Amino acid sequence: MNRVHVKLLMMVAAGSLLFPNPIVAQENPYSPKAILPPEPRAAHVQITQGPELAISRGDLAIIRWTTNNPGGTDVHYGIVHYGTNPNDLSQTAKNPIHLNRNHPDTTFRVRVMGLSPQTTYYYTVESAEATGTNDGVKSSVKEFSTR
Amino acid sequence: MKGATMTRVRLTVVSVVVLCLLALCMSVGGKKVSAQSAASPAAPVYNPYPPGILPSDLSSELARVLREVDGLEAEAIAQWHAIPPPVVSGQPPTFQNTGVASVEILGKLMNYDKTISPFENEACASCHMPYAGFSGPIPSVNLTMIAYPASVRYRAAKRTAQRYTYSSYFPPLQYDATQGLFFGGNFWDSRATGYLTRSPDAEQSQHPPVCPDEMASPDIACIPYKLSLRPYASLFEEIWGAGSLSTITWPADAAHVCATPEGASVFGSNTQPLALSPADRTLATNDYDHWAQSISAFEHSLSISPFTSKFDAYLAGKATLNAEEAAGYALFRGKGNCNSCHLDGRSTAPTPPPPDGTNPTGQDTGKAADVTPVFTCFGSANEGLPKNPRIALYYETTPDSFGYTPNPGGFTYTDFGLGTFLRGGFGAAPNPNSSWRQYAPTVDGQMQVATARDVAMVPPQCKSTEAPGPYFQKEFFHNGYIKSLKQLVHFYNTRDVYPFPVESGECPAGTVEKVTCWPTPEVVQNVDMTTGMLGLTDTEENQIVAFLQTLNDGYTTPYPDIGTYTGACMSGGNASTQGNSTIISAIKLRELMNQH
Repeated sequence: MNRVHVKLLMMVAAGSLLFPNPIVAQENPYSPKAILPPEPRAAHVQITQGPELAISRGDLAIIRWTTNNPGGTDVHYGIVHYGTNPNDLSQTAKNPIHLNRNHPDTTFRVRVMGLSPQTTYYYTVESAEATGTNDGVKSSVKEFSTR
Repeated sequence: MKGATMTRVRLTVVSVVVLCLLALCMSVGGKKVSAQSAASPAAPVYNPYPPGILPSDLSSELARVLREVDGLEAEAIAQWHAIPPPVVSGQPPTFQNTGVASVEILGKLMNYDKTISPFENEACASCHMPYAGFSGPIPSVNLTMIAYPASVRYRAAKRTAQRYTYSSYFPPLQYDATQGLFFGGNFWDSRATGYLTRSPDAEQSQHPPVCPDEMASPDIACIPYKLSLRPYASLFEEIWGAGSLSTITWPADAAHVCATPEGASVFGSNTQPLALSPADRTLATNDYDHWAQSISAFEHSLSISPFTSKFDAYLAGKATLNAEEAAGYALFRGKGNCNSCHLDGRSTAPTPPPPDGTNPTGQDTGKAADVTPVFTCFGSANEGLPKNPRIALYYETTPDSFGYTPNPGGFTYTDFGLGTFLRGGFGAAPNPNSSWRQYAPTVDGQMQVATARDVAMVPPQCKSTEAPGPYFQKEFFHNGYIKSLKQLVHFYNTRDVYPFPVESGECPAGTVEKVTCWPTPEVVQNVDMTTGMLGLTDTEENQIVAFLQTLNDGYTTPYPDIGTYTGACMSGGNASTQGNSTIISAIKLRELMNQH
C-alpha cells in the first residue's frame, strides 16, 4: 500500500465522519483547554482611580478603586483595612474578583459590612492574587462617613 | 455518495416513522389519567406545604411532561432499532462504525426511562427536557417551587435543574495551586467530582437516581435491576458485556425494595438493601458506572451539545450578528465584563472600541483562540444572590409517610454551595479528598459558573424567555430567584447599586424588587465583585440579552427534539418584573409555616 492509497483511505474515513447517520452524534469539534495558566504578572501595579466610597447604605459600604490590570492569577482579592481610628486600621474586608484578561484596567470593589451609623471610618486598600501574593499597591488613608 | 444518499433516504423514512410514533404517543398519552404503568405502585403524596406554595397546575404539568418523556423514549427505541447490528473488531474490541451511535442511543434510552424511579413516574428528563436546553420543563415550577417534585410526590430538593448542555466539557474537580482556585466538577456545588470515572458529567448522572429528594432509588443496584427489565437491556449487554445484567441473581424482594424510596426509615442507614452476592454487587456497581458513561455519551453528543448556534456560525464567518447582537457582544466582552468568567475563547489581546478601548473602528480585532468556546471558566463564584424563600425545601420539615424528613432545619438552611460540599455538609455529598476541606471558608457561597450557551433556549412556539412574550418561563442561577435574562443582566449590572438589607418580599416602599431593590445576599462571604455595578444603560442590558440569544444551539441545524413541548406559552407583563407576582414576603412565609 503506497502513500496515495493511505491518503485515499484517510479521506474515506474522514468522509464517513462528515456524513454520519444523523440519528447519532459524531465527534464534537471542541477540545477545551479547560484551565488556562495565569497571565504574566504586571511589572508594576498602580492605582489609577480612587479609592473612593461607591455606595453606603445601612451597615454596608462599598469601596472601589481602579488599577492597571495586575495579571497573575485569574482571581484577585480586593482588600480594605479599616477602622474608626486612622492610626488603627485593624479591621479587614475583602472580596474576590475575576480579572478580565482582555481589559487593560481592573476595578476592585470591596463590601465593608457591619458598620455603625453616623460614624467616620478610615481605610486603605490593597490587592492580592488568589494565592496570596500581594500586588504591591497600597493607598493612602482615606475616609468616609455612614449616615 | 450513493451510499450517503441511500442512508439519507433511509433516515428520512425512519424519521417520518419516528415522528408518527411520537405524535401517536402524545395523542394517546393525553388521554391517560396517570402516566404510571399498571404494575407500578401508586406514589404516596407528601404535602407539607402551606396553601399557595405548590403551583396549582402541578399535577397536570407533571403528567404532561411524562407524556413528552414517553414520546421521546419511543423515539429513542426507534432510533436504536435503526442502527445496524454491531460489528466488533480489532484489539481492543471496538464496535466498528456504530460504537458511538450505540452508546449515545443507550444514554438517550436511559435518560427518558421513567421506570428507573421507585414509582416509575420520573425519568432523568423529567427535570431536563430538550426544549428548555435540558433544564426544567414546567413553567409554573420554575416560577414558584424551583426544584422539581421527586418520585415521591412532592418531595423536592433545593436548586434549579442545571442544563445538560456542554456539562461533559467540565474537567474533574481539582484544586489548581497555581491559580489558587477550584476548577471542574458537575452540579452547582461541583460535588460530582469525577474522582473515579474521571468524568464529572458521568458521575453527575449517578446522584439523582439515588437522591431521596429526586428519583430516590434506595440502592444503586436498583438501577441495573430496572435496566435488566427494560427492552433495551440487550443493547446494554451488547455494549457493556454479555451477562453484565442478566447473570446477576436478584433477591426475591428486589421489586419491593426498589419500589421503596431512599430515605425510608425501614432502611435505617443501610445504603445497600438489595441483598446481592459480592460478585453480583461488583457487577451491579460496574453497571452503574456504565449507566453513567452511557448518559454522559448522550450528553456529549450532537443531540445535546452540538455547537450549532448563531454565534458559532458567526465565528465561522457564516453568519453576521445584527446591530443589537453585535453591540451586546461588545458589551459582553467590555463594559459588561461577562467574559471574565464566561470565557468566549477569543484571544487575550483585542483592542475594544471606545469607551473601553481605543480601537477607532469599533471592530473586534481579537483572534478566535478556540473556534467553539463553551462560555465558562469551569470555576465557581458567589454572585451574591438573595435567598429565594419560595424554594420547596424550606417547607419540608415534617416526615413523609416513609419517615423521611427532607429538611429538618426549615428556613435556617443556608446554601453554601461548594463550601458545604467540601465540608461534606447537609445536602451535599461526601468529599472524597480531605485536603480540599481547608479551602471551604474561601469558597462558601460559590456555585459553578454555568456555560452561557443555551441559557435562552425555549420551545420554538414560545419564542423567548422574556415577557411580554409569548415566552417560556425559565428559572436562572442555582436558586431560581431570577426569572428572565433581562433580570439576570440587570442583577449583574445593579446588585451593588440597589443593595438593601432586607429579605425577598420586604423591599422598601418606593422600590421594586429586582428593579430598584436587591435583597441582601444569602451568603455574604466571598461575594464576587467582578460585576454588580457595571453602569450599563437599559438599552445596553437589552443588547446583552440579544447577544445571549445568539448562543442558542439550533441556528445552523435544527436542535434535536426541541419541538416536543406540548404545554402553553405565557404572555403579558414585562421582562424586568417578570414573575414578581409570585414573590411572597419571606417573613410572611415563615409565619405561614408556623401556622401550618
